[in-house]
Amino acid sequence: MTVISALPPLAMQAGANRVVQGVKIEHVCGDPSLTPELDHRLRRRLVERSLEVLQTPVSGPTLFQSAGGA
Amino acid sequence: MLRVGHYLNQFFAGVGAEEHANHPPEQREGAVGPGRALQALLKDEGRIVSTLICGDNFFNERPEPAHAAVRGWLEATRPDVVVAGPAFAAGRYGSACAQVCQLAAAAGVPAVTGMHPENPGLLLYPKAYVVPTGNSAAEMGRALGAMLPLVRKLGAGRVLGPASAEGYLPRGVRRPAMREATGADRAVSMLIAKLAGKPFQTEIPVDAYDAVPPAPPVLDLRGATIALVTSGAIVPRGNPDRFKRCSDTKWARYSLKGLEAMSAETFECVHGGFYNQMASDNPNLVLPLDVMRELEREGAFGRLVDFYCSTTGNDQRLLDCRRNGAEIAAALVTERADGVLLVCT
Repeated sequence: MTVISALPPLAMQAGANRVVQGVKIEHVCGDPSLTPELDHRLRRRLVERSLEVLQTPVSGPTLFQSAGGA
Repeated sequence: MLRVGHYLNQFFAGVGAEEHANHPPEQREGAVGPGRALQALLKDEGRIVSTLICGDNFFNERPEPAHAAVRGWLEATRPDVVVAGPAFAAGRYGSACAQVCQLAAAAGVPAVTGMHPENPGLLLYPKAYVVPTGNSAAEMGRALGAMLPLVRKLGAGRVLGPASAEGYLPRGVRRPAMREATGADRAVSMLIAKLAGKPFQTEIPVDAYDAVPPAPPVLDLRGATIALVTSGAIVPRGNPDRFKRCSDTKWARYSLKGLEAMSAETFECVHGGFYNQMASDNPNLVLPLDVMRELEREGAFGRLVDFYCSTTGNDQRLLDCRRNGAEIAAALVTERADGVLLVCT
C-alpha cells in the first residue's frame, strides 16, 4: 500500500510504510488553482510516483517526494 | 433482589471443550459453573435467575440464531442486569460476550463482562462495560470480585462514573460534568507538572499506534490489480450511508464500474476536518480515478478494482480505525488486489 498524504509525519507515526507527499490537505491529488490541464498533469505524476513506490522495498515508514511542481 | 442473567460458553458451563464448541444455545435455570461463585458473592442482594449457554463456534459462526436466542432469553427471563463471562483472553468467547452485552443494551438491560484488555472481542462493541481481567481462568475469583460492584450498580439502574473510578475499561464516552477549575487552569497546571517532572493525569489519553510490518513490494505492476481507498469521505452525492463529518465509525464501498472519472454530479466530499468544497467540485482531487483509468488503459498496471472504499478519517477512534482497516483489507483480498493507493486528506 502507498499512502498519499499531505501530512506525511502523521501517516508515518500511524505506521504507514510507503508515504508519498501529497499536494494539500484539501486537494491531496491535484491543485484546483492550476488550469485543468496542469492540475491533471500534477495528479498523474503523483499517481505514477505512488505506483512506483508500491514496487519499492522499504524496511519501515519511508517518505517519498513526488516530482515537484506542475 | 436483583435478577441476574448470566451468559457462559460451553467450556465454563461444563458442557465440554472444543469438541462441543458447536453447542447450540441452551437456557438453564439458576447459576451454572462460575455463576455459583458469583451467586455466593451476591449473597442476598441478587439471584442468578437463568444462565444462557452457547458454544463459541456456534455463536460466532451462526450469529443469527445465536442473537435470536439471546433476545428470546432476555424476553423470557427479564433480568435486571446481564453478566457475560468473564472471557479472559479467549477471542471467540470474548466476541460472544461483547455481542451479548450489545444485545442486552439494545433490549434496555445493562450488562457487564470481563476480558483481558487485548481480547479482540473488545473491538466488536466498544460501548460494553468491560472489567479488565488476567488472561486465564485462574483469575476467575479476582475477575468476579471486580465485576461485582458494577453488577450491583448497573442492576440498580445507577449511572456509572468514569472508567478509572469504577474499574472498567474506557469506552470512549465523555459526559459533561462540573470541574473546580477551568480547562485553561487545568491545562496550565498539567504543563507545569510536566515541566517539573511531576506526575499528572491527562484528560484526553492519546492512543498508541502499532508498528506495522511493511508489505513486500508489488513485483509485476503491469499484471497487478490496484485498489483505491480514501479516508477523505468521498461518497455518492446525497451521502446515502450518512457518513458523519467527524467521529464516524464505519466505512463503505462504492462502485466505479463504467466510470472514467469522478464527477461533481455523482460524488461529493462530506469530510468535516477541512474545507471540502474543492474536493466536492472535483472529487478526482481526492480520489484520482481520472488518471487511474488513463494509466489502466495504457497498461501501466493490470486492472483497477471496480469499487473504492471510503471512510471519514476525522477524529475516528483508533478502535474503529483498526476495525475499518481490517474489514477494508479483507474486502480487497477477496478482490485479489495486489496493491492499494490510500489517499489521506
